[in-house]
Amino acid sequence: MLSTLPTAKTKTKKQYRGVTRVTRVIQKLAFWVPLIIMIAMIILAIFANFIAPHDPNLPKITDRYTPPVFMEGGKSEYLLGTDQIGRDILSRLIYGARVSLSVSLLVILITAAIGTMLGIAAGYSGGRADAIIMRVVDMALSFPGLLLAMLLAVAIGPGFTTVVLALSILGWAGYARMIRGEALRISQSDFVAQARVNGASGWRIMTRHIFPNIINSLIVLMTLQVGMMILAEAGLSYLGLGITVPTPSWGAMVSDGRANLDNAWWISLFPGVCIGLVVLSGNFLGDWIRDKLDPRLRQL
Amino acid sequence: MVRFIIIRLLQCIVAFFGILIITFLLLRVSGDPAALLASPNFSPEQVQAIRVELGLDKSWGEQLGIYLNQVAHGNLGESLLQKKPVITKIGDALPNTLKLMVPSFVLAMILAFILGVLAATYRDSWWDNIVKFLAVLGQALPGFWVAIMAVLIFSVQLQWLPVAGMDTPANYILPVSTIVFFTMPGMMRLVRSTMLDVLDSEYIKMARIKGLPERTVIWKHALRNALISPLTIIGMLLPGVVTGAVITEQIFNWPGMGRLLVEATFARDFPVVQAVVIITAILVLGINLLIDISYAWVDPQIRFQRT
Repeated sequence: MLSTLPTAKTKTKKQYRGVTRVTRVIQKLAFWVPLIIMIAMIILAIFANFIAPHDPNLPKITDRYTPPVFMEGGKSEYLLGTDQIGRDILSRLIYGARVSLSVSLLVILITAAIGTMLGIAAGYSGGRADAIIMRVVDMALSFPGLLLAMLLAVAIGPGFTTVVLALSILGWAGYARMIRGEALRISQSDFVAQARVNGASGWRIMTRHIFPNIINSLIVLMTLQVGMMILAEAGLSYLGLGITVPTPSWGAMVSDGRANLDNAWWISLFPGVCIGLVVLSGNFLGDWIRDKLDPRLRQL
Repeated sequence: MVRFIIIRLLQCIVAFFGILIITFLLLRVSGDPAALLASPNFSPEQVQAIRVELGLDKSWGEQLGIYLNQVAHGNLGESLLQKKPVITKIGDALPNTLKLMVPSFVLAMILAFILGVLAATYRDSWWDNIVKFLAVLGQALPGFWVAIMAVLIFSVQLQWLPVAGMDTPANYILPVSTIVFFTMPGMMRLVRSTMLDVLDSEYIKMARIKGLPERTVIWKHALRNALISPLTIIGMLLPGVVTGAVITEQIFNWPGMGRLLVEATFARDFPVVQAVVIITAILVLGINLLIDISYAWVDPQIRFQRT
């Protein structure tokens, strides 16, 4: 009986070592692959006019419904095929990266800044200010964002500004509500009480004591939002409320292919894959950032 | 507790009227429905006549007053395009939407909580990895695209499931799956991360040191403390679900509120859009109120602080 014990021990140790090695490789991949995809997308977005093999908006009726190159009937000049009026899908995807990335980046910066300020103010000060801010948040949150986007699209016409406005006007509320919850929790902690006893001003407590403690939640929320904003933009474009012709956008491309599902599925497939890849990369990088920022969680 | 509920109820009513007024003003800014209703060869006098008939010639303030008065009497007006009371249109559409949304949402939440807690409890196990993979995929792929691909695979290629309509149970499979697909992951991820935070806390260590069974530690001590931020998120999810439902209803040609809203907005049919917003606002505010009450119930500190 005694002799079996050491063997069992070494075995678990070996297994454990094997697991960590595999996990380490996966962890590395989960960081590098999304990072490379993200950087590649940013480069594509910035240099779209140099990289795209064709004019994304030039129709060529004779080449319409050309399947991707790996399928029967595919042509090497159209790697991912063409759509219903013969535009090169690859080129349209490359230009589409511009729309997705710029809209989401802008919206996230605007909404996170507003939401954090209001959220901390509400959570820390409590009382009337809290009640008022939170009622506005409730209103913003209960207003279907899509309706606002539609109204804006009708009022000022669909386009870049409309999408950014529609997503920003309501988007901050999510941050405010989440941050307020955190700020409320932190406000009740001993170190905030201590700071108050020491005579720290409200501003100082909010910026030096509460804010550092919510940064991690904020960053995780912001990185989650990269994906969500790209998805929201795609959704608006899909319905025809967002970026419209002649600028290609991934959401609108999915919508373009809907009528041709039975004979040209690639028109809808590839833009969705692009959206998925970028959002996936954003989320993976977010996870990685969280693990780095919150070593507490890694210990578990 | 009663005081807390009454105060929150009053706040909800104020928020509700705020939404009502903002919607009204935004819609008026967005365009002139009389110009849209009239065919291009109408004379300006005829367009003006339409305006007078619909009450659009009065000042915005007057229109708003009339409108609020009507709403207070439960009258949601008449569709501008079809001369049908809005309430009948809503009456047709709302049950269809609820039939789709309620099962989808409940299913999504149940799955999210179970999977999230299990993933946090068995961190880094194969189980956790599957949940993470599902969450990551569900959050990365656009719902409308997944729905279209599902139609491509199950309806166009395999011909197993119908594309549109809502007559048979089979009609529910694709739309419900779509909504679960984009509603569940965010929640699941949040439940998992909150649970991890809580499991790392001193009181959980204490509970374990006390020798409580692991099941009690996880499902009672930890879950109850981990409920707070996911609960607030449920409220935040709702409009997203509404938005998602609009797109889902469009794709599957589901005769619900979402489709009604899209059609009405493109046609600038004010009363219909307003009614859809009012009903949605009531539902969302009501659910948020319930969440706040349960929030206060879970964490007594908030009950005393908020009021």
